[in-house]
Amino acid sequence: MESQQRSLVQKRIGIMKTVAWFTILWLALAYARVQIWQGREMQRLALAQAVKTRTTPAPRGLIFDRNSNKLVDNRRALHLVIQYEDLPRDNSQLDALAQALQTDPDQLKRRVAAIRLAAGNRMLVLQDNLDDSAVARAEVLRARFPFLSIEVAPRRVYLGEDLAGHALGYVGEVTPEELARDPGHFQLGEIIGRTGFEAARNDQLKGVDGQRRILVDYLGREVATYGAQEAKPGRSVYLTLDAGLQQTLKEAFGQVQGAGVVLDLRDGGILALYSSPSYDPNLFLNRLTQTQVEQYWNNPDRPMLNRVTQGRYPPGSTFKLLVAIAALEKGIITPATTFTCYGHKNFYGRDFRCDATHGTLNLVQAIARSCDIYFYELGARLDIDDIYNTAKKYGLTDLTGIDLPHEARSRVPSRAWKREAKHEKWYAGETISAAIGQGANSLTPIALARFYAMIATRGKLLTPHLLYGVRQENSNDIDLYQAPAPKDTGLDSGIWTTLDEGLYQVVREGTARESAIPGLTMVGKTGTSQVTSFVDKAHYAALSKKLRDNALFAGYAPRENPQIAFAVVAENAGFGASSAAPIAKKLCQYWFIDRLKKPLPPPGARLPDAFRLDLEQDSDEPAR
Amino acid sequence: MRERLRFVDSRMLLPMLLLVVMGTLTVYSAGRGTSQSGLWLKQSVWNLLGFAAMAAAAAVSPLRTFRSALPLYILGILSLAAVLVAGHRIGGAQRWLVIGHMTWQPSELMKWLTLLFVTHRLGTRPLHDVSTWDLVGASMLVFFPMLLVLKQPDLGMAISFLPILLLIPLLKGLRARWVVVGLVAVALLGAFSWQKVLKPYQKQRVMTFLDPGADLQGKGYQINQSRIAIGAGGLFGQGFTSGSQTQLNFLPVKTTDFVFSVWAEERGFLGVLLALGLFGSVIMRILDTAREAKTSAETYFCVGAAGIIALHLVVNVGMVIGLLPNKGIVLPFFSAGGSSTLSYFMGLGVVMAVRYRAKMK
Repeated sequence: MESQQRSLVQKRIGIMKTVAWFTILWLALAYARVQIWQGREMQRLALAQAVKTRTTPAPRGLIFDRNSNKLVDNRRALHLVIQYEDLPRDNSQLDALAQALQTDPDQLKRRVAAIRLAAGNRMLVLQDNLDDSAVARAEVLRARFPFLSIEVAPRRVYLGEDLAGHALGYVGEVTPEELARDPGHFQLGEIIGRTGFEAARNDQLKGVDGQRRILVDYLGREVATYGAQEAKPGRSVYLTLDAGLQQTLKEAFGQVQGAGVVLDLRDGGILALYSSPSYDPNLFLNRLTQTQVEQYWNNPDRPMLNRVTQGRYPPGSTFKLLVAIAALEKGIITPATTFTCYGHKNFYGRDFRCDATHGTLNLVQAIARSCDIYFYELGARLDIDDIYNTAKKYGLTDLTGIDLPHEARSRVPSRAWKREAKHEKWYAGETISAAIGQGANSLTPIALARFYAMIATRGKLLTPHLLYGVRQENSNDIDLYQAPAPKDTGLDSGIWTTLDEGLYQVVREGTARESAIPGLTMVGKTGTSQVTSFVDKAHYAALSKKLRDNALFAGYAPRENPQIAFAVVAENAGFGASSAAPIAKKLCQYWFIDRLKKPLPPPGARLPDAFRLDLEQDSDEPAR
Repeated sequence: MRERLRFVDSRMLLPMLLLVVMGTLTVYSAGRGTSQSGLWLKQSVWNLLGFAAMAAAAAVSPLRTFRSALPLYILGILSLAAVLVAGHRIGGAQRWLVIGHMTWQPSELMKWLTLLFVTHRLGTRPLHDVSTWDLVGASMLVFFPMLLVLKQPDLGMAISFLPILLLIPLLKGLRARWVVVGLVAVALLGAFSWQKVLKPYQKQRVMTFLDPGADLQGKGYQINQSRIAIGAGGLFGQGFTSGSQTQLNFLPVKTTDFVFSVWAEERGFLGVLLALGLFGSVIMRILDTAREAKTSAETYFCVGAAGIIALHLVVNVGMVIGLLPNKGIVLPFFSAGGSSTLSYFMGLGVVMAVRYRAKMK
């Protein structure tokens, strides 16, 4: 019995051995399946999570003025970011992070979702340009949120601060709208030019981002780098701007609002472009504080508007030259035709006034003294479409083609325009106002400058531009920008002589004689455009600033051999001769006299201290 | 000397020795560059202590060992009670006693003490006299410490008490009636546990096992990373200290629960076959010893010991590849840990003693 029982136990142990072997065989087969059949796939998965590609942002090209003064630099800055593979999937973590960063949690979640969906593994920049105390705070945050990291990336520095804010513009991360508008052009998270030259010439300035293949651990921390493709920096770009002239223009405006632009008559290069009030582009690289938003975006003075290309002003008397051309070309008058000014005159049943009683004047005298009656008479003899067609012929109705974004189109009224815009017919009386640059006339300063440049060049329409040249990739040589060839308008030389003489008389003995410069013949036309209805000069002082007239001055210099043309608008500054012309005088004083008195700086030297500019000289080092 | 070490069973010792060396090397590789970089040294010390303990257990006659079964069982129960009252708490579970600088996990040794006491009780009567009620009583002796362990809570450890119940089919055979009773008992126990005993995290593990894709960042994440590590090992492995999953820490708890994934990644399928073969031969040797044992109690003890080793092997090796739920159960000879190392070596020391006595005429 006992031995029978024992043999039964022996038998059962035998069964257990068999079961054990089969169990082990089952395990072995399971491992064979994963390690041999699925081995490749598993190796791929292991590599995919351990080897990551990181984008190294390429520094944008540096920006210099025409004398190699550095205007825009790149500095290495620290940014608080979340790397692509670290983006938390857990919304509660994002909520906590948003609370810690004091940002909107929904916006943060949207940004995370957008980056996750996009191609390429870009990082999410939470805070950029960390200073020492911000780095310390970021380190504290990293202890709480291990998915955060601190990344080094280049950052723009605008050395002149508000010197040329509107010309340069600033950069920022591409917005979802821009991505949607132009698919494939930008990458999510890319830093692009937001406005100004940075935006207009973004393609020249941007480099090619580098790529790094790195080994990361389970927290996404970089363990090793292998295979790096260096970022290719954007090429350095030279502007037609002259920093000294720009500084002169800025100082000439001071607190006065308005716009000024100076064109190089050789090719339309912009020597100076200033919109007052200006802004410091450096501020817009960071998220603005609420105060700054109020100060810049919600300010009724509209500092963000580039008044040179986007501000439209009634041209006032500066428009009279166009009317003169129209009348001369139509044969309504000759240069010798005279009209008599009694201080006011009735046209179509309405009394039109002049600001003085000029007596009998010919065309040159009418231009010099800016007699309104003379041009009312021309307006009474011209059709508005004659004026429009002349404006069109001399380029006033086109965009100038300046390389700045969002240029506004100047407006010269016509019958068609009024029919379309106002659904009304044109009244002949309106032509009287239009003939002295009032009414629906509305020009951008850049268009006005281009028109006077056209007169200075005896009929050539230039394309204003800021791009001077692009530095070659591996040398210090510059590929000069070839501006579009000027368009010849076919301005009659007889007409030109009359215009030139008229402009000369303006400064010699006319409205702008105060602004004559000894030894230099600057010529130009003053303008005063009414912001409100005509009011007596005696009341000016009592008026609030907003109601006062805009002052304009446009012209060129020197008369004998014109090199520059300019347009200046001083808003709410009163009479053109007393506010805008002195600004133009300062420009010419600097450009033709003061600039040349000082020895030209040798290439690579600092600017004279007088400009008080914190500009850095271009070094031979390639852009970093 | 030869004479004195005659109780050493080299056919069990050699595969064990190989497994221990493999395991310690794996712990070294897994700990590299982490806070556990010194763990392999600590484990080596535990292994040496383990071999000493095994020698001691093997040198003592099984008869004497069985005589202290009751006091040892009571001591074990007291130690489990002490854990529940004054145990050290790590991550929501109270499983450890702190003695000086050392932590001790009494449940590891308790498995063996329970096995010793149960087999001692069943072995004292003639085989044909073992009644159903004896088996029920023996099961109670197993369930009591199991419940104390579940209370800690430590489901994986509680499950590793179950192989002791292998004695039931050993004595009664696998008759249909017993299978049905067993299945019903397991089902009732399971339902009861699900309702009353299982903690949310344990339910989570079961759910994860049933649908691993649903929870890639939690427990499913561990299994997923472990499968990737094992698969990436391929046939020949990524090489010692060269597994990316291991070295870059994608693999979780890699010195204990998931140590076999490290082995599989760095040594490949051939390494897995070697380890499984060595485990198999240890288990077979224990079962052979069971056949040759002089008394019933010794036979039962060896069968239970083989069951404990086999269960840990199957549950751990099956878990890391996703065949079985993520239980948190260690792999004998591989996983780092003092309590388990000492316990396994002592348990197998008793098996050696059984063999030695059987060979001694």
